[in-house]
Parts: sequence; structure tokens; C-alpha cells
Amino acid sequence: MVQPPEIEAELLAFLRREVFAPQVALTSETDLIAAGFDSLSLVRMLVFVETTYGLWIPESEITGTTLRNVRSLAALVSRLLHER
Amino acid sequence: MSADPRFNGCDYLMLGFDHELRRHGFAGNSCQIVLELGSAISPDALRERLRKLLERYPVLSARPAGLFSPKWKLPRGNSREPQVRVHRDEPGLRQRIVNEPLDTNAGEIVRFDLIELAEGRVQLVFTWVHALMDAPAAEHFLALVGREDLPLSAAHSLTPCRVRLPLRERGRVAWKSLHQFDRYCEAPPRSLGHRHHDAVPLLQYRVEKFSAEETARVRANGVRHCGILGDAQYHASVAVMELHRLYQRLGNASPSYVLPVPVGLRPKGTIEPLFSNQVTMLMVQFLPEHLSSVADAVAALKTQTGHAMRGGLIESSVMLSEMFRFLPRPIYMAILKQGLRGEICSLFYGDTASVSPLLTTFLGASIADLTHVAAVTPSPGVGVIFYHFHGVLRLTVLHLSTVLSEAEAAGFAANLRSRLLEP
Repeated sequence: MVQPPEIEAELLAFLRREVFAPQVALTSETDLIAAGFDSLSLVRMLVFVETTYGLWIPESEITGTTLRNVRSLAALVSRLLHER
Repeated sequence: MSADPRFNGCDYLMLGFDHELRRHGFAGNSCQIVLELGSAISPDALRERLRKLLERYPVLSARPAGLFSPKWKLPRGNSREPQVRVHRDEPGLRQRIVNEPLDTNAGEIVRFDLIELAEGRVQLVFTWVHALMDAPAAEHFLALVGREDLPLSAAHSLTPCRVRLPLRERGRVAWKSLHQFDRYCEAPPRSLGHRHHDAVPLLQYRVEKFSAEETARVRANGVRHCGILGDAQYHASVAVMELHRLYQRLGNASPSYVLPVPVGLRPKGTIEPLFSNQVTMLMVQFLPEHLSSVADAVAALKTQTGHAMRGGLIESSVMLSEMFRFLPRPIYMAILKQGLRGEICSLFYGDTASVSPLLTTFLGASIADLTHVAAVTPSPGVGVIFYHFHGVLRLTVLHLSTVLSEAEAAGFAANLRSRLLEP
């Protein structure tokens, strides 16, 4: 089973590569929304999670808390994978 | 001497729309940001500031050139300085300014108008050709004009939209977008066309301002219907629903409505490149049965957006416009319209989210209000722009005089406002 740190690293790499500018010092604790993460970034990330882990995150799980940063997102993905 | 900057696909698409508008007697595809300033500013100080910026960014007086390799032809020798005009406020002035074409072929691609209001206040109308840059870049540029404390060095780049695909892949990827149009043509959109044939071709607009409490209500509706970060999806879905109702009232219900959803291509956290349109469009089709409730409309939008992302339609759309930029403008527009049986889309829609936090003062004057204005093509002739200024929602409703009457446009704006607020 994929562990949260591994998911965190994958998500960070994706967001750094595909969503944020290189000059944004994105870490696992960066506030995503304050850094400019928007609705289309969210859809791109959802599709990335689906492609990588075969998991579509239900809308009810996408809240201010889970979207707070990469760490909370990775925890969500990990939990949903375990519950599957 | 610097090289002439090349257009990217989206820049050239905007220039194509400029051609389309001028062909129908309109001023062209220009945009405006209107700032209401808390105190007067010196026109000479503004001219001086623009002179300095022109030295740094000669593209500000370039003209479009190049038949098969479109680019901004930079001025050789003396540049034409951007105009700064001063007006006394009078009825109809803003409409005159928004309908006055820029002399693009002579290098007039930005213009500034200062309107003297009562009590020493001033409105600054910044007009630019859309082919030069998109709205977020224009906000940043305006901040650079108004604030000498901001660094200029990182603002200019000539790179096209960033898509990392090998050359041989590009044609295949671009083709996906054309297939999408084929599906849409099973129920092709039909816009209102030129209903008012005798009207003078004018762009008109009105601004709906929401209070802080109303903004909170619209936001809450957005979260309820679309989840967190769902504001834009909510705005877009409700706007198409209201458009459908307008069409029904006018006895012209369309078999479908196609909405171009803008996708910003700039990596988050940067505004570079400044003089460029870093946007592509995801086309979303709404059938009348999608428009009976907000939930249905949102579901249609979300489903199609998800499919588009999975199917690589963003990359496809970028590739298509990159390939089409080598076509002459009239041919480009003809092909574009052929894709949807004569239509470009059903509604022009922009959602620039929050206005740049750098736009706080302008040459020392406070910025009390801000309005975004953009042109819309003769068909569909209707558009909406959503944005937040100082945390409160603004909505600009645009229409062409040949398509809607003033009363029809006012009704559309009022109904859209009410529906956004509806619990």
C-alpha cells in the first residue's frame, strides 16, 4: 500500500512541474489556495490522482481542510486508498 | 536591436477576433480597465512614466506584422508614445471611448484616457488591444505604470504558451479539438445574429456591483453547488442558464449553448510573460436539458471539464491555435466559424478572480474602484466578466447594439444578478 510520504512526494512533484511557477517555493506545508491554486488546478490534480492511483476523490472530501496543503491532501488520498 | 516578438496562438486568435469585429463596423478586439482614483493625477506625470516604460518595453508601440509568421514589429527609430488624453466628464463619453478604434497598424496598441470627475476625482481608462496581453497581465502592467516602486525586470518575455510536446505529436494532439466540434454540431449552437440591423455597431456594457454581504451569498451558493474553489463554475453555469432564458424570451432558443471556459496557462505564482495572452479555451456544450436547474448545469460543466482534462483537450486546444496562427486572419476566422456551423460560441465569459493585489495606488492616488471591459465578437454579441475588487464581486455584462437592445441587455444583467443571489 502506498504510504502518505510517498504520495506527498508525488503530489509535490506534480504540482511543481505542472501547476506552480519554479519561483514558488512549494513545500508540503505551503497554503495552496493562497499560492494561487484554483478550480482548474484542482481538476488537474484530481485527474493526476486518478491516473496515478486509480482513485477519483469524491467532491464531498474536498474541503478547506483537505486542500490546506500537500500534506493534508496526501493524507486524504492515503486514507481513501486504505478504505477502498 | 531587439528581435520582433512573435505572437503565440492565443495572441493571434485575439487578432483574428479584431479582424472579425472591424469587418462588422465595430472598433476592434480591445479591452479596458477603468480605475476610479480618489484624487487627481498629473497627465504629464503619466506621460513621463509611459515614456520610461516605452524605453524598457518597445512592444508598447509595435504593430502587428508578418503574413505567415505573425509578430509584433517593433518601432525602428522614434516610437509612437501612447496617447494620454484628458476629458471633462459628459454623458456618452465612456461609450465613445470604448468604441473608438485603436490605430493598431500605426503602432497604437495602448491608450490612456483621464476623465475629470467631481470633487477632484479622476477616472483612468486604460485601453489595449487584446492581442497584446490578457487581463491578468494588463492588471500587472497597469500596476507597473502606476507604481514606480515595482521592479520591471521580470515582466517581459516573448515565449509562446508552454506546451512540452515533440513536433511530430502536435498535429495529432490538435486534431482532438476538431473532433470535439464535430460532436457539438449534432446540436449546433445558434446565436441571436444581427437582430437590430439598423443599429449603429457599438459595444455597450453595464456593471453589476455586489455588496460585501451579497458577495458572501454568491460565494456560499458557489460552494454549495460546486464545492470549494467552485466560484467560477457557479458563475459560468448560472450565466449560461440566464442566457438560455433570454433566448427563450426572445423566441430564439438555441439547440445548444457552447461556452469557452478560459484556462490560464501561466504557472501559478507568476505573471510572466507580461506581453502575451497565456490562455486557452475549453469548449463546454450545454443542451437545453442541462439548463433546467443550477445542479444540472454545474454537473454538465464539471463532467465535460473532467473529460477534457483526462482527454488532453487543453494541450489540444493550445496546439490547434499554435498551428492556426500561420493562417491569414480571414481564413482563420472562416475555419473557426465553420467548426460550429457559423458560430464562434454562445457567450463570451471571463472570470479573472481577484484583481491584482498590486493595484492599490496609481501615481500616488488611491484606487477606489475598478471595472473590466472587453469586446465580444458580432456573433454571439454577448459576454460577461466576473472579478473581485477589494473582496467584492463585480460583473460586467457586455453586448453589441446590433444583437441586443439596451432594455434586453439590462434585463439579462438584472436576472443574472438575481439568480446568482438566489438561495
